[in-house]
Amino acid sequence: MEKATVVCPYCGAGCKMNLVVDNGKIIRAEAANGYTNQGELCLKGYYGWDFLNDTKLLTPRLREPMIRRSKGVPFETVSWDEAIKFVAKRFSEIKQKFGPRSIMTTGSSRGTGNETNYVMQKFARAVIGTNNVDCCARV
Amino acid sequence: MSVSLDDIENSKCLFVFGYNGADSHPIVARRIVKARQKGAKIVVCDPRKIETARIADQFLQLHNGSNMALINAFIYTLIEEELYDKEFVAKYTEGFDGLWDVVKDYAPEAVEAATGVPAAQIRQAMRTYAGAESAVIMWGMGVTQYGQGTETVKSLAALALLTGNLGRAGAGVAPVRGQNNVQGACDMGVLPDLFPGYQSVADPAIREKFAKAWGIDPAQMDPEPGVRLSLVPHLAMEGKVKAYYIMGEDPMQTEADTSSVRKGLEALDLLVVQDIFMTKTAEMADVILPATSWGEHSGVYTCCDRGFQRFYKAVEPKYNVKRDWEIISLIATEMGYPMHYDNDQQIWDELRELCPIYYGVTYEKMGELGHIQWPCPTLEHPGTPILYTDLKFTAVASGKGQLLTHQWRKPAELTTPDYPLVLSTVREVGHYSCRSMTGNCAALKALADEPGFVQIHPDNARQLGIQDQALVWVESRRGKVITRANFNERVNRGAVYMTYQWWVGACNELTQENMDPVTNTPETKYCAVTLKSIDDQNWAESHAEQIYQDLKARLRSVVENAKPAAVAM
Repeated sequence: MEKATVVCPYCGAGCKMNLVVDNGKIIRAEAANGYTNQGELCLKGYYGWDFLNDTKLLTPRLREPMIRRSKGVPFETVSWDEAIKFVAKRFSEIKQKFGPRSIMTTGSSRGTGNETNYVMQKFARAVIGTNNVDCCARV
Repeated sequence: MSVSLDDIENSKCLFVFGYNGADSHPIVARRIVKARQKGAKIVVCDPRKIETARIADQFLQLHNGSNMALINAFIYTLIEEELYDKEFVAKYTEGFDGLWDVVKDYAPEAVEAATGVPAAQIRQAMRTYAGAESAVIMWGMGVTQYGQGTETVKSLAALALLTGNLGRAGAGVAPVRGQNNVQGACDMGVLPDLFPGYQSVADPAIREKFAKAWGIDPAQMDPEPGVRLSLVPHLAMEGKVKAYYIMGEDPMQTEADTSSVRKGLEALDLLVVQDIFMTKTAEMADVILPATSWGEHSGVYTCCDRGFQRFYKAVEPKYNVKRDWEIISLIATEMGYPMHYDNDQQIWDELRELCPIYYGVTYEKMGELGHIQWPCPTLEHPGTPILYTDLKFTAVASGKGQLLTHQWRKPAELTTPDYPLVLSTVREVGHYSCRSMTGNCAALKALADEPGFVQIHPDNARQLGIQDQALVWVESRRGKVITRANFNERVNRGAVYMTYQWWVGACNELTQENMDPVTNTPETKYCAVTLKSIDDQNWAESHAEQIYQDLKARLRSVVENAKPAAVAM
C-alpha cells in the first residue's frame, strides 16, 4: 500500500489528507497533519474520492475527446490529434474573423491547480491576444 | 484574508457576518469553536440561526437584504459612542469625515425596522467588537452575493480600520473563500484585469515584462481589461462573444438565472468544454476535451488564507485523458505558438520568476505538508501569515486605509403578494459546487440526494399547507422546480433557503442576476418566490424521481452514444 499526500478538492480550507492506494486503486482517505486542518477532515474529505472510479451515480466521466460536427447531432469520439486540430482551427478562424475579444476562456477554481490556471491565462493573453479570462470567483 | 486560520482560533473576538462556516467550511468552523473555548467573544449577524449563532455571545438576526443598513448603524455607533480608535484613525486612515456624512441617518434606533435588529443589540455588538483586545471580521457569500456586495465589503473593512483591528495577531479581515482553489485561480491571473501576482494589465511596464517572458511583441498584448464570466451569456446573445472555452466549470448549474445562461451558450459559434464529467454544460459543447482529475495529477493550490500547498498524484488516469495544461499547450502549439512543459514544476518556476510576491515559494519550501503564505518575495522569506503589519495600505498612493461606506440599497427583486417569500441560495454540507464530484460519491449521495431541499420555517409552511418532507413547487418569475420542504426553526420567517447543489431542485432556475456593478457577482442571496403545496404526493414523488432518472439517463447516453465516425471505404 502507498499513500499520496493531497489537499482536499472541495472547500477553501485547504485540508491536507492522504489517499491510501492499493493495487492502483484508492481504498480510503486519511487526515494528514496539515497547517490548516491539524489532522482533521470533514465528511467530504473522508468520503469524497470514489468519483474517480467513474461510479456513474450521477453522471459519467469523460473518457475520450469528442466533437459535435453540427448543433444537435450526437458527439463523435475522435483522436486527441483531431480534437486539438479542430479546436485550434476554429479558434484561429474566429479570431481572424471577429477579433481576439470574441473568444472567452475560463480558468478553474477546482481540482486542476495553479499551474493550469497560469497556462490558461497565458493562452488567452499570449496566443488569443485578449484579457478574456475569468473564473467562477464571482458566484 | 488578511490573517491566517490560526488567528481565527487565537483572536479575542470573532465578528461573523453572513458566513455559515459549519456548512461551507466545517474545518474552518472548528477554529471558531476553538476560539470560543479559549474565551473569545463571538457575535453573529445572519438571517438564520446558524450553527455558530448557537455558541455566540450575541446573535443579530437581521432581515435578508439589510446588510448595509446594519453596518452603517455599526459605524454610527462607533463614532457616536466614541468607541473607535482615534489614534489609529488619525495615523493610518483617511476619509473619516465622509463616513459620518453617510451614516448620520443610520442611528441604530432609525434602522430597527429595516434591519429587524433592536437598537440596543446593535450598540452592544459594537461595544463588544471595539472593546476586544483583538478581533477578526469573518464574512462569506452572505455579504458578497448581493447587488451591493462590494460596497458592503468596504464598509466591513471600515469597521476594522475604525477599531485598529488590522495588521497584528488575531486582528484582521477574513473573507473565507469558497472553492478549494478560487484563491489560486485569482492568484494566477485568471481575472480579466490582472496578470498573475495581481499585476495590472493596464500597466505598460507589466505588459512588457510578460510579453518578453512569453516571447511575443508587447504591442500584441491587449491593454484593456477583458470580459467577466457572468456577462458572457448576454455578450454571446449580442454576438460579441463567439467562442467560449470553459475549463472545469459548470455554469449551467452554478450561475444565476439558468435560462439566460442556456440561451447564451446556445448563441455561441463554438463551445469547448474541458472537464472530468459530463455536466449540463458539457452536453451543450461542440468539443469535449477530457482531463485528468484531482487524484490523477499533482500541483499547487492556494487555500483561503493565501497559503500555497502542494498536492501529489495518487493513481494513474485510466481513460484517454490528458492533464489540463497539456491540452492547452497542444492547442497553443497548433495555433502557431509553440508551448511545451514537462511537468508542473516547470510552470511553477516560470510564474515565480514573473510574480515578485510568489518568488520565494519554491516546490522544495512547500514540500509535502508545508503551507507558505504570499507575499513571499525571497528564497529566505518564510511567507506572510498576517498582512498589513506595517499598517501601510498600498492599494492607494497615500498608503492610508480608506474609510468608505455607502447608502443602503434594497435588493432588486422585492417580494409581492404573488411572490411573497425571499429565496436565498446557500450551501450543502455534504456536497460541493455543481456536485459532479460529490454526487458521484456513494456515501455522500446516500446522505443527501435529489431533488434537494428548501428550508422553511414551520410557521410559514403551515400557512401554505405544506408538510415537513413533502415535495413542493418553488416558483419565481423565471422558473419553477420541484424540491423537498425541510422544516427548520432556525430559518427566519418570510425567507426560504435552497442549497445550489441540486440538479432537479435547481435553485438557479429561479435566481436573478442583479449584479454588483464592480464585480458582476449576481444577487443570488435574494429573489422573490412562492411555494405551492402538491396534493398528490405519490405523483410528486414519482415525478421528481422520473426527472432525476431522465436527466441521468440523458447525460449517460451523451457519452455512451458517442462513437467514432464511420470510416469511408
